[in-house]
Amino acid sequence: MTDPRSPAEARAPIDSRSPIDPRSSVVASRVAGIQRIVAFCSAKGGVGKTLCTALAGVVLAAGGKSVGILDLDLQGSTAHLFLGVTPRMPQEDKGILPLAVTERLSLMSAAVFSGERALALRGPEVSDAILELLAVVRWGTLDALLIDMPPGIGEEVMDLARLVPRLEAIVVSTPSAASTAVVERLLGFLAEVKVPVSGVIANMTRGDDASVRGLASRFSVRYAGGLAWEESVEAAIGSPSLLAKTAAANSMERALKEAGW
Amino acid sequence: MHEWALAEAVIEATSGALEGRDPACLRGVTVLLGELQAVDREIFSFALGTLVQERPFRAAAYTLETEPASFRCSSCEREWSLADCAGLAGDAREAIHFLPETAHAFIRCPSCGSPDYRVQAGRGVRIHSLTLDTSGSCT
Repeated sequence: MTDPRSPAEARAPIDSRSPIDPRSSVVASRVAGIQRIVAFCSAKGGVGKTLCTALAGVVLAAGGKSVGILDLDLQGSTAHLFLGVTPRMPQEDKGILPLAVTERLSLMSAAVFSGERALALRGPEVSDAILELLAVVRWGTLDALLIDMPPGIGEEVMDLARLVPRLEAIVVSTPSAASTAVVERLLGFLAEVKVPVSGVIANMTRGDDASVRGLASRFSVRYAGGLAWEESVEAAIGSPSLLAKTAAANSMERALKEAGW
Repeated sequence: MHEWALAEAVIEATSGALEGRDPACLRGVTVLLGELQAVDREIFSFALGTLVQERPFRAAAYTLETEPASFRCSSCEREWSLADCAGLAGDAREAIHFLPETAHAFIRCPSCGSPDYRVQAGRGVRIHSLTLDTSGSCT
C-alpha cells in the first residue's frame, strides 16, 4: 500500500526518537496568576513542614490573602488532615479546581484522589504525578501558593526547581543536630539550583534555636524565627480556626513578616 | 472537562516543537491517549479544535490514537493489561483519570497482589509525532 502523503510530508516527524510529553509546556502559564510560590521544605522528616505550611496558609488567609496549598508529599499526604478537608473528587473547569478549605484558602493533594489508601510510587511515577498536578490544576489568581514538601532531596525538590518559575523556599528545621545536619545539605542544594530561600524557621524550639540561627547565618539567609513546642497544636489539627488561635500561628505570622510578607 | 487542560498542553508543546520552523507547514499531529487515563476523546478533540484556531498551525490534522495500558509487576514479573482490572470501581477509575499514578492505590498485581508494579505503557497524553510539509515554500 502506498503512502497517501507526498514523499516530502512522509519523511518528516520532527522528532521520531521519543514521544513528546506536552505537560511541562503549560506549567508556567498555570502559575502565572500566583504572586509568590513558596516551597516549605526540610530534607529531614518529622520537623513540622506540614504544620508550618498549614499555619502559614491559615495566617495569610486570615490576613486577607488568597492562598493555595499544594501537598506534594504524595506518599505521606497530611495537609488535608491539618486543614480538616475530607478527600473528595474535585470540580472541573478546563482543568482541575483545588478544594476550598475556607473562603480564601484552597488545597490540592494526591489524597484528594487516593484518599487514605497507601500510594506507593517509584521515582519516575513521583515525577509524573507532580507534573500532572502542575499541568492540570487551575489555581487562578492567588497571593501565594504554598507547597508542602516531603522529606529528602528527591524528585519533588528537583522537579519543582526545574519546572516552576519564581520558586522560593522556606526551610524548616528543629534545633536538633540530627535535623540541622540534614537541612544544611538541603540549603547547599538550593543554592546550587538557585532557588532563593526567603527564610529559615526553627520549629519545636524549647528556647534553644541557636543551632538553626547559626545554620541560616552560615548560608547568609534570613532567620525568620522560631515556633515553640506547643502541646495544644495537636488538638487544633483538623481545624483551620483552631490552628489560627495557637501560639504557633502568632509565631508563624512573625516569621512570615521576616520572610517578606 | 480537565481534558481541556491536557489539550492546551498539546497545543503549547506543538508550538514549542515548531520553534525555528514555519508553523504553517505543520500538516499533522499524532497524539497518543494512554488507556489508563481514559481521556474523553470527544471533549479532548473539541478542545484541540477550539484551541488551535488561534494558532498559525490551525490547518494541521490531529490524529488521536489509543495507547493500550500495560503493567509489569516488580515482585513476580507478571505483565497484564487494563482489561485484567475489570473489577475496578467507578470512583477508582475517576481518580485514575484525574491522576493516573493513583492506580497504585487501587490496582494490584493479578497474580501476587503486589502494589509494586510499573505502568509500562498507556499512562497519559503524549505527542507521538509532528508531520511537516517540507516541499515548496516549506523547505
